Amino acid sequence: MTALIRTNLPVLVVIAPLFVAFILPPLARRIRLVEALAFLATVFGFGAAGYLAAVVFAQKGSPFIYQLGGWPAPWGIELVAGNLGVFFLLAVTGVSVPVLLFGRGNLTAEVGGAGRVTRFYVLYLLLVGALAGMAVTNDLFNVYVLVEVVTLSCCGLVSARRHPRAAEAAFTYLVLATLGSALVLGGIGLLYLLTGHLNMGFAARELGRAWPDYPHAVLMAVSFTIIGFGVKAALFPLHVWLPDAHATAPSPASAILSGLAVKGYLICLLKFLYGVFGGVLLRELAVHRILTLLGVTGIIAGSILALAQEELKRRLAYSTVAQVGYLVLGFGSLNVTGLVGALFYLASHAVIKAALFLSAGAIQQATGKRKIRELAGVGRKMPVTMAAFTIGSCGLIGLPLFSGFIGKWYLLLGSWEAGMFLPVAAVLAGSVLCAAYLLPVIRAAYFAPAPEEDWQDPGRPQRLALLMLATVVLALGVRPGPFLELARKAAAELLAYY
Amino acid sequence: MSGLLEKLLINYPYLVAALLFTIGTFTVLTHPNLFKKLLGINIMESAIFLLFVASGNIRGGVAPIRAVADGEAVYINPLPSALMLTGIVVSVSVTAFALALIVRLYKAYGTTDMRRIVARRKEVTGDDGFDQN
Amino acid sequence: MLALVLALSSGVAGGLLVAVLPAARSRLRNLVVLFFTGCGVFGSWQVARLVWAGEQLRIAGRLGGLSFCLDPDPLGVVFALLAATLWLFTVVYSFGYMAGKAHQRTYYSFLLLTFSVTLGVAFSGNLVALYLFYELLTLATYPLVIQERSEEAMQAGTKYLLYNLSGAAVLLLAIVLTAAQGGRLDFVGGPILARGMKTGYNGLLFLFTVGFGVKAALMPLHRWLPAAMVAPTPVSALLHAVAVVYAGVFGLLRVVFSVFGPELLGELGFTALLPWVAAVTILVGIILATRQDELKRRLAYQTISHLSYILLGAFTLHPSGLAGAVLQMIGYAALKTAFFFCVGLIAEQTGVTRVSRMDGVGKVLPKTMAAFAVVTLGMIGLLPLGTFWGKYYLMKGSVAGGLWPLAVVLAGSGFINAVCFIPVVVKAFQGERTCTPVTERGGRVTLMLAPTLLLVVIGLGMGLFPGMVWPGVRAVVDWFF
Repeated sequence: MTALIRTNLPVLVVIAPLFVAFILPPLARRIRLVEALAFLATVFGFGAAGYLAAVVFAQKGSPFIYQLGGWPAPWGIELVAGNLGVFFLLAVTGVSVPVLLFGRGNLTAEVGGAGRVTRFYVLYLLLVGALAGMAVTNDLFNVYVLVEVVTLSCCGLVSARRHPRAAEAAFTYLVLATLGSALVLGGIGLLYLLTGHLNMGFAARELGRAWPDYPHAVLMAVSFTIIGFGVKAALFPLHVWLPDAHATAPSPASAILSGLAVKGYLICLLKFLYGVFGGVLLRELAVHRILTLLGVTGIIAGSILALAQEELKRRLAYSTVAQVGYLVLGFGSLNVTGLVGALFYLASHAVIKAALFLSAGAIQQATGKRKIRELAGVGRKMPVTMAAFTIGSCGLIGLPLFSGFIGKWYLLLGSWEAGMFLPVAAVLAGSVLCAAYLLPVIRAAYFAPAPEEDWQDPGRPQRLALLMLATVVLALGVRPGPFLELARKAAAELLAYY
Repeated sequence: MSGLLEKLLINYPYLVAALLFTIGTFTVLTHPNLFKKLLGINIMESAIFLLFVASGNIRGGVAPIRAVADGEAVYINPLPSALMLTGIVVSVSVTAFALALIVRLYKAYGTTDMRRIVARRKEVTGDDGFDQN
Repeated sequence: MLALVLALSSGVAGGLLVAVLPAARSRLRNLVVLFFTGCGVFGSWQVARLVWAGEQLRIAGRLGGLSFCLDPDPLGVVFALLAATLWLFTVVYSFGYMAGKAHQRTYYSFLLLTFSVTLGVAFSGNLVALYLFYELLTLATYPLVIQERSEEAMQAGTKYLLYNLSGAAVLLLAIVLTAAQGGRLDFVGGPILARGMKTGYNGLLFLFTVGFGVKAALMPLHRWLPAAMVAPTPVSALLHAVAVVYAGVFGLLRVVFSVFGPELLGELGFTALLPWVAAVTILVGIILATRQDELKRRLAYQTISHLSYILLGAFTLHPSGLAGAVLQMIGYAALKTAFFFCVGLIAEQTGVTRVSRMDGVGKVLPKTMAAFAVVTLGMIGLLPLGTFWGKYYLMKGSVAGGLWPLAVVLAGSGFINAVCFIPVVVKAFQGERTCTPVTERGGRVTLMLAPTLLLVVIGLGMGLFPGMVWPGVRAVVDWFF
């Protein structure tokens, strides 16, 4: 039995949350049971991801290949739990546990009655399962299906509040995300036309041969994928849907949307760019320059827009736009160091943004205030929440001892190795701007006179969730050890073709 | 020049797909009416389906199941068509979800016009507060 | 090793303890603050003793893929000792100055945290550790700058963060590039970039100069320093005349002697420019000081000018210049702290904060004004005060380094210092009394006056017996040359 589970683990990680999601709706009346089941599903996912990571780590990085239904590639569908796969799997499952914990007994206030809360959990688990699928899939069409599952569950989560603004934000998101999916599907169609394969490895090999004959079609496929995933990952200037969607969603949903969903699309983009097109082609087509430029613009514009926001959650949402810029910039460095930086930054930002959104949500719930300047004195009244927020902010700014620093360090080194000065300057300017938009929140919270009102830290599960995330931010900053090693191996693997 | 035109005409399904995609995208991005946006999405997706299905087609080819019976005949690639079945399912669910959202917006604002929704946002929601459920 | 841990941790431990003590227990809090500062001072002395005895105290770890180490060397020890000793004086002065003021708990806990961070800067053994503490220093001192919580203080605080965080960002870039070029980041074992000349080193030196120059208030990056004078006087005295700004100066000394090394620097084109940047800062700083009416701002501009004395010594790349720099660092720090203490005493007791209203203050506060007058002589650089020796070696180094116009700049600066402060002193003793009479005496004033006078005495002692600091200076010079 255990052997059976162990050999099927790559697929179980994906299927378990989906399965639990489907059995939840009939249990809606027993909300405690729903919460417990959902929590168990995510904890199982985390355990499985940890086990897979340990296996992959011990195997000196040779990937764990799983063939669905026992059909070998190129006929069957493959799941590959390689270095990149388990790295992202760990990030997804690791963040999903505390975020879910935060929702425990707390969602009714934001979402509504038990039925609605159950539906929230269904969507949440669908999202986690699909993201886990993105981590391990090695099939182009599967990517499309997972992208759609993620999109739909994200839209559902955005519209979870009864407020009309939520429906509005969800509609805008849906329209633009579908545009993105259509482009991605178009890109996949072109790749299939060119190569005759849907398995990434086979498609990559075939593309190497087909490329000289059909340069325009390849260029089109590359641009379709970049723009398609760009829309979905809120790459500036395709970010217009994000601030509304992330600011209106219930806070656990904002946390997972900003922290993970956006990253899922970026991991898919990474798989397409390096796993299918390959480094040589990217350099030939100068795609890396485009990516770098997009990243630089994203960092600067996103940060400046964030600076202009008065509402805390909107500011955090725009900050996500800026942080996506960092990742894309790292993707464009075309060397191991830069990719290590991007990957590590991706995971670190997932944790940090989850912590920031959750604490912002807790503050908003306790105080009823959304604007930053109305948050005077929150630090003293809600010490745990604000401590988590402060640790997250320090991480995002990239202070040493916090996880963001290590990511930024490798991004800087990588950009320099690539011989590009502009991204280096952008990364640094981004840090300064990040300090400029986050420190005022901390200043208001701790150093402004507190009003008489009785604001309190949220309940125990919420506090525990915040502390877990804050601890991870610090732990990754001080001892990134095996996690960084995994990122390094993943980056080396991605560039192996090159 | 005529060579290019000839190429385009021979591959007319792709040309039609590109045209449909453009029409769909244009509608989505420019039309203020939510229903028309949704129609645009559907047109756009149909264009992609067409691209896929056309990629599997061979002129004069037969369905694979007949090809098995005939033995020699050229048969079309069934895989893209099968994939598009999934695509259609996805497209239907997106449409359903979007319709549900439109109903909710219509109930709240009494209109399906994006411009009017923006204009009425303040009076309906009271400032721009998200916090009343 | 234990001493190093004690020195570094006492500030953090004390700061956290103060933060959880009830705000009303001020007497207990003062005891805690004094105890932990004392521990830090004791630890620093132990570290100094061991380092001078030739022992290597090294705490190394890894921060992700980066090595991180603390490894005090003679230069770091001098900075640490200086900061620790002055911290003790400032803490005592604060007991008097802060009594009865708001937000005392925040003040003391961050003051103690800053203590640890400053010692961290001094003891850091590679660029990563230095960057970490440099960045933390900005953040730990921010609450002290906005202590007043007024609109003006908040604006000054924003400016403070903006300048210093931008500087740190540039510094990070420089460090990344150094890592890419030199491969290692440790200070021990000679300059990091010793081997061979490469293109781009000029740019790297420029980045380092900007990165550390912000805190060292090198012109034109100095604007935050006068703004930060809204902080309480003990903070201005200790942090914005000594600890924080010295962190920048210290960083630049590290760049000159541990990153590039004097030999390599001598070959770089940009190096030739640096002494002149320092010279311009010296002259323009002090000239701007003469135009300030507010006493603290005048002192701030004077600080800008005097910080560049130290940099000038380092940029001569000559052993005498370095000796002068270190001597100036020590002598100036003690006197400048005393100077600010005097200003604080005057403001607290008579309410005078402007030069134009100083007439007759000397008749009301004779002891304070006497100390003020002695310190003024020190700022000019006259015997029998400690700063004389610093200036003497700086001039010697300038001439020996082939930059004799710099000696003229130093002499000229001394003259402008005299123009800037001597008339104030004269009027304070001779002018018609305009200020309100002294309203309070006793415990609080004694707590403020005693450290001030003691510092002046120490300044005089250093002038008369320079031998007491010479071994420390000697150790630094021998370490690098």
